[in-house]
Amino acid sequence: MENTQNSKLSFAQRLLYPVPMILFVIVWYFATKNDEQRQFIFSTPEKVLDALQRTIITGELLQNCQVTVMEAVIGFLLGTVVGAIVGLLLWYSKLIAQISKPYITALATVPIFALAPVVISWFGIDIYSKIALAFLSTVSVAIVQSYQGAMSVEKRFLRLMQVAGATRWQTFRLVVIPSSIIWVLNAMKLNIGLALMGAFIGEFISSEQGLGHMIVKAAGLYDQATVFAGVIAMIVIALALTFIIEQLESVLMKWKAV
Amino acid sequence: MSATTPLLTIDNLCFDFGQTEKTIDSLELNVSKGEIVCILGASGCGKTTILNLIAGFLQPKSGSINLQSESGKKNSIGYIFQSDPLFPWRTVEGNLLLAFDLNRNTDRSKALETISQYLSMFHLNPQILKKYPSQLSGGMRQRVSIIQSLMFDPELLLLDEPFSALDYYTKLSLEEEFCQLVKEKNKSAILVTHDIEEAVSMGTRALIMSGGKLVKEFQIRANSNIRGSEEFAKTYREIWSELKTIISG
Repeated sequence: MENTQNSKLSFAQRLLYPVPMILFVIVWYFATKNDEQRQFIFSTPEKVLDALQRTIITGELLQNCQVTVMEAVIGFLLGTVVGAIVGLLLWYSKLIAQISKPYITALATVPIFALAPVVISWFGIDIYSKIALAFLSTVSVAIVQSYQGAMSVEKRFLRLMQVAGATRWQTFRLVVIPSSIIWVLNAMKLNIGLALMGAFIGEFISSEQGLGHMIVKAAGLYDQATVFAGVIAMIVIALALTFIIEQLESVLMKWKAV
Repeated sequence: MSATTPLLTIDNLCFDFGQTEKTIDSLELNVSKGEIVCILGASGCGKTTILNLIAGFLQPKSGSINLQSESGKKNSIGYIFQSDPLFPWRTVEGNLLLAFDLNRNTDRSKALETISQYLSMFHLNPQILKKYPSQLSGGMRQRVSIIQSLMFDPELLLLDEPFSALDYYTKLSLEEEFCQLVKEKNKSAILVTHDIEEAVSMGTRALIMSGGKLVKEFQIRANSNIRGSEEFAKTYREIWSELKTIISG
């Protein structure tokens, strides 16, 4: 588990975390210094900092972040919960699992970009279409992961329940669900990025608010600094949401840490 | 059930995994109340398959398995696996309360009382109840696993090399504790093992299996169970001699 790996790092080792980022900023700074053409294409660290400061002060960044977070989180929760329930329930019937396999694969392989215009035409340009896109981006991952989890339950646990005369529902509740939690948590970690991407794609194609909208608008004006400010905000949101999932993981999987 | 009626009757049992050769071939076996029947044999001779058939994990091709349960309970079999089936996400207490969770018509405090009795019987400190299985030693885990199985109050216990992964001293004390328990609670057991010493010290009968059949039976007298005794050594030699003949073909 990542948390366990992190806790194994010494304080000195943890200080290494920002090193790649600092190196990247230094290279970026010197590569664009005194070169206007490069500054126009890549912007500069100072200009990005200025853009961040400006959009924070005007409230533009926070307002757009709120919209994107809301779309992504609602889509993420719906996609993960629905996907996990469907995936776990597929354990009940091998036949239904087998029949639904190509459909789940199809859903997982369709590029969300291809579906976005249709979804927007169904749900309109407000947040509902972005929630739907975040949902569609995440649901198949949750189904596949939780089904894999349900099917990976150790044989000895299932045999114990069988010999104990447990019903299928008792086995599902007491063994399959707890055994699969780690898989569902992994799906959640994967889905954070996918949900943000789904919401972003929706905003990118057609929207009036959100980070995607802010980035598209800035890109249209060749304001690379604001584009990067938006990208940084997206990264911070993704990291914050991942942190929340990791906290949830440490609570649900506390037996692993002992 | 009359005194002479066996608890378990296996009649003309046949099973294969789809190959031409039968894994279990016309097997006959009776197990009476209070007996510990040990099944010995080379790897792959079908020892574990018998247990899996009795437990219902596998379906026989032909023949019958009858368990004359006194209580008429559906789960009157307990299976103690080589690798314990303790749920890692539950504490020891949670694992031991599995029987209670599955059958809630018993009183929880009564279940906890029974757990406490078993803990003392197996020389386990009650403090382990709050621990997770990963925090226990191999011997402790196997003891907890036996108690977990006993919490269902089975009449017949199936043991698939449960002590093979333990160190020698833990193995000896667990064997002793288990035999004591079978006597006290008047249970029956079928133990599958590679270990002749284990079979002689624990069993009331030892059966040698080869090619899916039970080919030889040894009655083990009570004084043969005492390790180091002349009787123990004699029974050991007899079984080993028979096994050697079978293994060398």
